[in-house]
Amino acid sequence: MIERETRLLVISPTSDITPDQLTRFLHAMDLPITIKETCYGAMVEGDPDTIHRVVDGARALDHNKIFSKRRGYPIGDTRRCRAHHGSRPGFTQLEAEWHDLGRIELGLDCCDRGESVPEPTVDHRVPINRLREIIKEVTE
Amino acid sequence: MKVFIVPPNSLILFDLVERFGHEPLSTMQLIQEMVDNLEIDSPPLNVTPDDVKRGLKYAGIEVPSGIRGRLAVWSELFEQADATIIMEDAPYAFGCVGCHRTNLILNYLLRQRGMPLLELRYPLDDEEAMTMVLQVKGFLGGLK
Repeated sequence: MIERETRLLVISPTSDITPDQLTRFLHAMDLPITIKETCYGAMVEGDPDTIHRVVDGARALDHNKIFSKRRGYPIGDTRRCRAHHGSRPGFTQLEAEWHDLGRIELGLDCCDRGESVPEPTVDHRVPINRLREIIKEVTE
Repeated sequence: MKVFIVPPNSLILFDLVERFGHEPLSTMQLIQEMVDNLEIDSPPLNVTPDDVKRGLKYAGIEVPSGIRGRLAVWSELFEQADATIIMEDAPYAFGCVGCHRTNLILNYLLRQRGMPLLELRYPLDDEEAMTMVLQVKGFLGGLK
Protein backbone atom coordinates (compact mmCIF):
# COMPACT_ATOMS: atom_id res chain seq x y z
CA MET A 1 0.00 0.00 0.00
CA ILE A 2 1.51 3.29 -1.11
CA GLU A 3 0.94 5.92 1.54
CA ARG A 4 2.05 9.02 -0.30
CA GLU A 5 1.62 10.25 -3.80
CA THR A 6 3.52 13.18 -5.22
CA ARG A 7 2.22 14.90 -8.35
CA LEU A 8 3.45 17.51 -10.75
CA LEU A 9 0.74 19.87 -11.99
CA VAL A 10 1.95 21.44 -15.21
CA ILE A 11 0.22 24.46 -16.72
CA SER A 12 0.07 24.56 -20.52
CA PRO A 13 1.86 27.54 -22.15
CA THR A 14 -1.49 28.53 -23.70
CA SER A 15 -3.16 28.94 -20.32
CA ASP A 16 -3.74 32.29 -18.62
CA ILE A 17 -3.43 30.70 -15.19
CA THR A 18 -0.20 31.46 -13.36
CA PRO A 19 1.54 29.09 -10.95
CA ASP A 20 0.66 31.53 -8.19
CA GLN A 21 -3.06 31.37 -9.02
CA LEU A 22 -2.92 27.59 -9.18
CA THR A 23 -1.20 27.38 -5.82
CA ARG A 24 -3.72 29.74 -4.20
CA PHE A 25 -6.54 27.62 -5.66
CA LEU A 26 -4.98 24.47 -4.21
CA HIS A 27 -4.58 26.09 -0.80
CA ALA A 28 -8.22 27.18 -0.97
CA MET A 29 -9.29 23.54 -1.33
CA ASP A 30 -8.25 23.21 2.32
CA LEU A 31 -7.09 19.62 2.09
CA PRO A 32 -4.32 17.94 4.13
CA ILE A 33 -1.63 18.10 1.43
CA THR A 34 1.77 19.68 0.92
CA ILE A 35 1.91 22.21 -1.93
CA LYS A 36 4.94 23.72 -3.59
CA GLU A 37 4.75 26.39 -6.27
CA THR A 38 7.13 25.84 -9.16
CA CYS A 39 8.02 27.55 -12.43
CA TYR A 40 5.78 25.18 -14.45
CA GLY A 41 2.87 24.98 -12.02
CA ALA A 42 2.92 23.22 -8.69
CA MET A 43 3.79 20.04 -6.88
CA VAL A 44 1.36 18.43 -4.47
CA GLU A 45 1.87 15.60 -2.03
CA GLY A 46 -0.48 13.68 0.22
CA ASP A 47 -2.38 10.43 0.46
CA PRO A 48 -3.45 9.04 -2.94
CA ASP A 49 -7.21 9.57 -2.55
CA THR A 50 -6.80 13.20 -1.58
CA ILE A 51 -4.29 13.79 -4.36
CA HIS A 52 -6.71 12.42 -6.95
CA ARG A 53 -9.32 14.90 -5.74
CA VAL A 54 -6.74 17.67 -5.98
CA VAL A 55 -5.74 16.67 -9.52
CA ASP A 56 -9.38 16.55 -10.65
CA GLY A 57 -9.96 19.96 -9.10
CA ALA A 58 -6.87 21.44 -10.73
CA ARG A 59 -7.87 20.06 -14.15
CA ALA A 60 -11.30 21.61 -13.75
CA LEU A 61 -9.72 24.98 -12.93
CA ASP A 62 -8.59 25.48 -16.52
CA HIS A 63 -10.19 22.94 -18.83
CA ASN A 64 -7.67 20.87 -20.86
CA LYS A 65 -4.84 23.23 -19.93
CA ILE A 66 -3.52 21.69 -16.73
CA PHE A 67 -1.71 18.37 -16.94
CA SER A 68 -0.42 16.04 -14.29
CA LYS A 69 1.99 13.20 -13.75
CA ARG A 70 3.44 11.41 -10.77
CA ARG A 71 6.84 12.08 -9.31
CA GLY A 72 8.93 9.43 -7.59
CA TYR A 73 10.83 11.65 -5.18
CA PRO A 74 9.01 13.52 -2.41
CA ILE A 75 8.80 17.30 -2.45
CA GLY A 76 12.01 18.91 -1.21
CA ASP A 77 14.06 15.69 -1.31
CA THR A 78 17.67 16.85 -0.99
CA ARG A 79 18.77 14.57 -3.83
CA ARG A 80 16.53 16.38 -6.30
CA CYS A 81 15.49 19.75 -4.86
CA ARG A 82 17.35 22.65 -6.46
CA ALA A 83 17.26 24.54 -3.18
CA HIS A 84 19.71 21.92 -1.92
CA HIS A 85 21.68 21.90 -5.19
CA GLY A 86 20.23 18.53 -6.14
CA SER A 87 20.39 17.27 -9.70
CA ARG A 88 17.19 17.43 -11.74
CA PRO A 89 17.76 14.98 -14.60
CA GLY A 90 14.09 14.87 -15.63
CA PHE A 91 13.70 18.58 -16.16
CA THR A 92 14.82 18.70 -19.80
CA GLN A 93 12.09 16.22 -20.65
CA LEU A 94 9.50 18.09 -18.65
CA GLU A 95 10.44 21.31 -20.44
CA ALA A 96 10.25 19.62 -23.86
CA GLU A 97 6.80 18.22 -23.15
CA TRP A 98 5.61 21.50 -21.62
CA HIS A 99 6.30 23.21 -24.98
CA ASP A 100 3.90 20.80 -26.71
CA LEU A 101 1.05 20.85 -24.21
CA GLY A 102 -0.80 23.47 -26.27
CA ARG A 103 -1.02 20.96 -29.12
CA ILE A 104 -2.30 18.24 -26.81
CA GLU A 105 -4.93 20.69 -25.62
CA LEU A 106 -6.16 21.04 -29.24
CA GLY A 107 -6.52 17.26 -29.38
CA LEU A 108 -8.46 17.18 -26.13
CA ASP A 109 -10.75 19.92 -27.48
CA CYS A 110 -11.39 17.68 -30.53
CA CYS A 111 -12.38 14.87 -28.13
CA ASP A 112 -14.77 17.23 -26.35
CA ARG A 113 -16.39 18.06 -29.68
CA GLY A 114 -16.83 14.35 -30.34
CA GLU A 115 -14.62 14.25 -33.42
CA SER A 116 -13.38 10.91 -34.68
CA VAL A 117 -9.95 9.86 -35.89
CA PRO A 118 -9.35 11.17 -39.43
CA GLU A 119 -8.93 8.66 -42.24
CA PRO A 120 -5.30 7.87 -42.98
CA THR A 121 -3.92 9.73 -45.97
CA VAL A 122 -3.96 7.96 -49.32
CA ASP A 123 -0.74 6.23 -50.27
CA HIS A 124 0.75 8.09 -53.24
CA ARG A 125 3.48 5.61 -54.08
CA VAL A 126 3.93 4.84 -57.78
CA PRO A 127 2.16 1.57 -58.76
CA ILE A 128 4.50 -1.21 -59.83
CA ASN A 129 3.14 -1.34 -63.41
CA ARG A 130 3.65 2.39 -63.87
CA LEU A 131 7.17 1.99 -62.46
CA ARG A 132 7.87 -0.71 -65.08
CA GLU A 133 6.71 1.64 -67.84
CA ILE A 134 8.90 4.44 -66.52
CA ILE A 135 11.94 2.16 -66.39
CA LYS A 136 11.22 1.01 -69.95
CA GLU A 137 10.87 4.60 -71.19
CA VAL A 138 14.11 5.67 -69.53
CA THR A 139 16.19 2.69 -70.62
CA GLU A 140 14.99 2.54 -74.22
CA MET B 1 -7.03 -1.35 -17.01
CA LYS B 2 -3.31 -0.96 -16.49
CA VAL B 3 -1.65 0.70 -19.47
CA PHE B 4 2.12 0.71 -19.88
CA ILE B 5 3.41 3.87 -21.56
CA VAL B 6 6.54 4.34 -23.64
CA PRO B 7 8.46 6.59 -22.90
CA PRO B 8 7.75 5.29 -19.41
CA ASN B 9 8.01 8.74 -17.80
CA SER B 10 6.06 10.76 -20.36
CA LEU B 11 3.90 13.56 -18.94
CA ILE B 12 1.69 13.65 -22.04
CA LEU B 13 0.91 9.92 -22.11
CA PHE B 14 0.55 9.63 -18.33
CA ASP B 15 -1.98 12.45 -18.31
CA LEU B 16 -3.94 11.19 -21.31
CA VAL B 17 -4.21 7.62 -19.99
CA GLU B 18 -5.40 8.85 -16.61
CA ARG B 19 -7.74 11.43 -18.14
CA PHE B 20 -9.42 8.73 -20.23
CA GLY B 21 -10.07 6.54 -17.21
CA HIS B 22 -7.25 3.99 -17.05
CA GLU B 23 -4.26 3.44 -14.80
CA PRO B 24 -0.95 4.47 -16.36
CA LEU B 25 2.09 2.34 -15.46
CA SER B 26 5.06 4.68 -15.34
CA THR B 27 8.63 4.72 -14.11
CA MET B 28 7.73 7.23 -11.44
CA GLN B 29 5.80 4.77 -9.28
CA LEU B 30 8.74 2.36 -9.33
CA ILE B 31 11.13 5.14 -8.42
CA GLN B 32 8.85 6.01 -5.55
CA GLU B 33 8.97 2.44 -4.25
CA MET B 34 12.77 2.49 -4.48
CA VAL B 35 12.96 5.88 -2.76
CA ASP B 36 10.57 4.91 0.02
CA ASN B 37 11.54 1.30 0.68
CA LEU B 38 15.13 0.67 -0.39
CA GLU B 39 18.35 2.06 1.02
CA ILE B 40 20.02 3.07 -2.22
CA ASP B 41 21.42 6.49 -2.92
CA SER B 42 19.78 7.77 -6.03
CA PRO B 43 17.33 5.55 -7.88
CA PRO B 44 17.05 4.89 -10.78
CA LEU B 45 20.71 5.75 -11.31
CA ASN B 46 21.46 3.19 -8.58
CA VAL B 47 19.80 -0.20 -8.63
CA THR B 48 20.17 -3.29 -6.46
CA PRO B 49 22.19 -6.37 -7.56
CA ASP B 50 18.91 -8.28 -7.74
CA ASP B 51 17.59 -5.80 -10.30
CA VAL B 52 20.53 -6.42 -12.59
CA LYS B 53 20.14 -10.18 -12.24
CA ARG B 54 16.46 -9.92 -13.07
CA GLY B 55 17.44 -8.17 -16.28
CA LEU B 56 19.04 -11.43 -17.44
CA LYS B 57 15.55 -12.73 -18.10
CA TYR B 58 15.26 -10.26 -20.97
CA ALA B 59 18.81 -9.83 -22.30
CA GLY B 60 21.96 -11.97 -22.34
CA ILE B 61 24.97 -11.52 -20.07
CA GLU B 62 26.97 -9.93 -22.91
CA VAL B 63 24.44 -7.08 -23.07
CA PRO B 64 25.64 -3.98 -21.18
CA SER B 65 24.50 -3.82 -17.58
CA GLY B 66 22.82 -0.46 -18.21
CA ILE B 67 20.40 -2.10 -20.61
CA ARG B 68 19.74 -5.03 -18.30
CA GLY B 69 19.28 -2.68 -15.36
CA ARG B 70 16.75 -0.56 -17.21
CA LEU B 71 14.84 -3.59 -18.44
CA ALA B 72 14.83 -5.05 -14.92
CA VAL B 73 13.32 -1.85 -13.54
CA TRP B 74 10.69 -1.59 -16.26
CA SER B 75 9.92 -5.32 -16.32
CA GLU B 76 7.92 -5.00 -13.09
CA LEU B 77 5.62 -2.66 -14.95
CA PHE B 78 5.18 -4.32 -18.31
CA GLU B 79 4.71 -7.72 -16.66
CA GLN B 80 1.49 -6.42 -15.09
CA ALA B 81 0.32 -4.34 -18.06
CA ASP B 82 -2.99 -5.07 -19.80
CA ALA B 83 -2.24 -2.78 -22.74
CA THR B 84 0.57 -0.60 -24.08
CA ILE B 85 0.95 2.73 -25.82
CA ILE B 86 4.27 3.32 -27.56
CA MET B 87 5.13 6.83 -28.69
CA GLU B 88 8.04 6.62 -31.13
CA ASP B 89 10.59 9.35 -31.80
CA ALA B 90 10.01 11.32 -28.64
CA PRO B 91 12.62 14.09 -28.93
CA TYR B 92 13.33 14.07 -25.21
CA ALA B 93 14.22 10.40 -25.05
CA PHE B 94 17.50 11.10 -23.39
CA GLY B 95 18.55 11.51 -19.78
CA CYS B 96 17.21 8.76 -17.57
CA VAL B 97 15.42 7.05 -20.45
CA GLY B 98 18.23 7.73 -22.85
CA CYS B 99 19.33 4.33 -24.06
CA HIS B 100 18.15 3.71 -27.59
CA ARG B 101 19.10 0.01 -27.51
CA THR B 102 17.03 -0.47 -24.36
CA ASN B 103 14.12 1.27 -26.04
CA LEU B 104 14.41 -1.04 -29.06
CA ILE B 105 14.50 -4.17 -26.88
CA LEU B 106 11.64 -2.83 -24.76
CA ASN B 107 9.47 -2.20 -27.82
CA TYR B 108 10.32 -5.67 -29.15
CA LEU B 109 9.36 -7.31 -25.84
CA LEU B 110 6.11 -5.37 -25.71
CA ARG B 111 5.16 -6.37 -29.28
CA GLN B 112 5.90 -10.00 -28.45
CA ARG B 113 3.51 -10.06 -25.51
CA GLY B 114 0.40 -9.99 -27.68
CA MET B 115 -1.50 -7.45 -25.60
CA PRO B 116 -3.46 -4.56 -27.12
CA LEU B 117 -0.87 -2.14 -28.45
CA LEU B 118 -1.06 1.35 -29.91
CA GLU B 119 1.96 2.72 -31.75
CA LEU B 120 2.15 6.45 -32.34
CA ARG B 121 4.69 8.99 -33.46
CA TYR B 122 5.51 11.98 -31.32
CA PRO B 123 3.39 14.84 -32.76
CA LEU B 124 5.39 17.53 -34.54
CA ASP B 125 2.50 19.84 -35.45
CA ASP B 126 -1.08 20.63 -34.43
CA GLU B 127 -2.68 18.21 -36.91
CA GLU B 128 -0.55 15.30 -35.73
CA ALA B 129 -1.26 16.15 -32.10
CA MET B 130 -5.02 16.18 -32.67
CA THR B 131 -4.84 12.85 -34.47
CA MET B 132 -2.66 11.40 -31.74
CA VAL B 133 -5.02 12.39 -28.93
CA LEU B 134 -8.03 11.04 -30.85
CA GLN B 135 -6.19 7.78 -31.50
CA VAL B 136 -5.31 7.44 -27.81
CA LYS B 137 -8.91 8.12 -26.83
CA GLY B 138 -10.22 5.60 -29.36
CA PHE B 139 -7.72 2.97 -28.23
CA LEU B 140 -8.38 3.43 -24.51
CA GLY B 141 -12.13 3.56 -25.09
CA GLY B 142 -11.97 0.17 -26.79
CA LEU B 143 -10.20 -1.55 -23.88
CA LYS B 144 -12.44 -3.76 -21.76
